[in-house]
Amino acid sequence: MPAFKPTRYTNKTMECNGCEFRPELYYDDQYQIWARREEDGTLTVGMTDISQTVAGKILHVRVRRPGTLRPVGKPVATIESGKWAGPVPNVFDCVIEEANHDVLDDPNLLNIEPYEAWIARVRPSGSVEDALTSMVTGDAAQAGYCERTKREDIHCERGAR
Amino acid sequence: MAEHHYLDNEEKSVIIVMTSGPSTPHRCATPFYIGAILASMESDVSIFFTMEAVKLAQKGVADNLAAMEGGKTIIEFIRDAKSAGVKLYLCKPAMPGYKLVESDIIAEVDEIANASKMADLILSCDKSMFF
Repeated sequence: MPAFKPTRYTNKTMECNGCEFRPELYYDDQYQIWARREEDGTLTVGMTDISQTVAGKILHVRVRRPGTLRPVGKPVATIESGKWAGPVPNVFDCVIEEANHDVLDDPNLLNIEPYEAWIARVRPSGSVEDALTSMVTGDAAQAGYCERTKREDIHCERGAR
Repeated sequence: MAEHHYLDNEEKSVIIVMTSGPSTPHRCATPFYIGAILASMESDVSIFFTMEAVKLAQKGVADNLAAMEGGKTIIEFIRDAKSAGVKLYLCKPAMPGYKLVESDIIAEVDEIANASKMADLILSCDKSMFF
């Protein structure tokens, strides 16, 4: 088996209804969150362009305290905007390692650049490969991502300073 | 960084008793928003529609109701709460007074329940809220 090489941000982007999609990332089946492999065996987690658009201007983010175990289905964080409140869902067992303090202090960053403004870094309880089996990536993810934007008629808009 | 950004609350159960309805639309969004937040903080949240709130569970009513002019509809707030994990109960004894029949209830409602169910939820929960 070839040695694991983490995928890094490549500037390669695609769009569906104006919603940015990054093929190198991993997504939940509703395309609410993305995950990126890191070299140290952790995963970085954030919101998709779809999610930040549905939420509207994000006013508050709270992340589970580092060290906290997150079983499948237990949120990593909560998000509040003026019109939407809900969880940042979790699709694999993990432990919170770190929160992005820049985002906690300025949640609007999630609206401005959702794929750079990560929310938390987590360590899967099992292997990274096992964790990622619960997510989709690449062409299959792009098809599902575009399908959701069309089905729900979502047209993405980015926040501004 | 401020400590208040971290979540470390324990799991709790919460019941929100919803009595407000279409005659006071400005009171109809916040309970679902609060429910969604509580559920995403791992509370076990139930919203019990009774009195005029049962009208919100009638097909077509919440679709055409917003808490503020031009704002998000109440059905969208209800769906956000559902997506976050909130369970929705509808008070069966309140239905005849508003001429509601089961076939006319929105699919988001988890259970049409008797008043004793609300009593059970209130007596067994950690926190209760009334709107």
